[in-house]
Amino acid sequence: MNAGDPEISDLIVSIDSETLTRVPVRKADVAGTFRTRGNKRAAAIVEAMPERDGWLDPDFVDRLLVGVHCEMQRVSEEFQHGQRVAELLHPLLAALREGGVPRPLRVVDVGCGTGYVLRWLAARGGIDDDVELVGADLNLALVDEARRLAAVEGLRVRFVAADVFRLEEPATIFLSTGVVHHFRGDDLVSFFRRHDLPSARAFAHFDFQPSPLAHFGSWLFHAARMRAPLAKHDGVLSAVRAHSGQTLVEAARGGAPGFLCGLYGTRLGPLPIPRSFHTLIGLRADHVASLTRFLGPRASRLGPLE
Amino acid sequence: MTAEWLLLLAVVDSTFCGYRAAAGRSALIDKRRHYGRAMRRGAAWGFGAVLLAGLAIFLALAASSDPDALRQDLKRAGDRMLQVYMPYAVVLGLAFFARAWPSVDVRSLTSTLVFGPLTLLRVPVLVAGIVWGVMSAPRLVVVALAAFVLTMMLGMERALGRHYRRERETRADAASPARSQPT
Repeated sequence: MNAGDPEISDLIVSIDSETLTRVPVRKADVAGTFRTRGNKRAAAIVEAMPERDGWLDPDFVDRLLVGVHCEMQRVSEEFQHGQRVAELLHPLLAALREGGVPRPLRVVDVGCGTGYVLRWLAARGGIDDDVELVGADLNLALVDEARRLAAVEGLRVRFVAADVFRLEEPATIFLSTGVVHHFRGDDLVSFFRRHDLPSARAFAHFDFQPSPLAHFGSWLFHAARMRAPLAKHDGVLSAVRAHSGQTLVEAARGGAPGFLCGLYGTRLGPLPIPRSFHTLIGLRADHVASLTRFLGPRASRLGPLE
Repeated sequence: MTAEWLLLLAVVDSTFCGYRAAAGRSALIDKRRHYGRAMRRGAAWGFGAVLLAGLAIFLALAASSDPDALRQDLKRAGDRMLQVYMPYAVVLGLAFFARAWPSVDVRSLTSTLVFGPLTLLRVPVLVAGIVWGVMSAPRLVVVALAAFVLTMMLGMERALGRHYRRERETRADAASPARSQPT
């Protein structure tokens, strides 16, 4: 596995970003892509998937991805990811309130999948009534599952199948988890460029933090916790593909110069031990002092915002 | 106390087998019912396995020409199994104690350093305990009983997982596509 390899889940679904319609995917093409790159395991996983006249069975793929997201949620729960997001989101929201940002403060989860983070925030995150939680994903099957789960638990959160940067009611804060490593090179800069909407006041993107032990740790955890071969493969590859903090900051500063950008939570307290996740933060300049104040003791986790 | 400790560890282990078999199968936020039911099922299956092991030991003793010697051998093997299993259980217990601390970092660390690696080590530890125990009394009946117990312990999580896949977990979550995931 190397950082240039695509993840299986990137290739088995194709959605036209303009029309949001599902585009059929030819199984041999996906398997061939992995074989060409020497990734025999990924090719074998794809070849084992059912097909219809050479095209990957979309119903199977949807069920598979929903199941994989369910397994991923288990790991997020174990690593307290909802709480991790809440601990940063509350100071961000407080800073925006103090700055007089118009209500509602709309928190939009980019590539929300089955919406674990927002559903957790709605259920346990202590989110105030002036905040609107919206999850957006291009994959309708994942969005439908997110809606169903939110309805079962009666949660105040909305999910839409849409391009997150073209919502009718645009975001105040963009959030994401495990999304930014899917963008490589110029696409990463373009991704941040699209954040620079008039309504957007901040963004916080959580992703794996590369470190000498990240690859092994990711392998170990996916071996111990995941069942689906695709989840094991893509989970480990995600850690391999994760961008360094410097790459993220440079791309964000290049793409979204209207924000002051920096990293949050890279080290474990004063120790030189990297956290599994780090967070790229972008914030309009007029909210930086407030955020630092509202972070309180956690302000020491915040790197320079420039 | 050897038998009591082994019984306790077996039931606790199967309770957590129940938890792991259920993990990653419900995407609801509130999973108290989901996990509570899974852990009760694991404990019940574990208790059933212990009863089966007890029955096998009873039959072995009844059929033995020298039951006192066999009892001593089994006791010796059990003591040595505890030498392997107790440290494992103590480390896990301490990690649960640490996890009670309301800190994202501390809780993540318990997973990174203890729960994840020790989940992977469970099978080697189970095998090591049995082998170390049998080495103290390497006679056919002890080996056979140990193999029977090991088979049940190793098969517990897989059997619970199979059972789980067949069962629709809760009415509220019954329609979840995750329930029919092709994994």
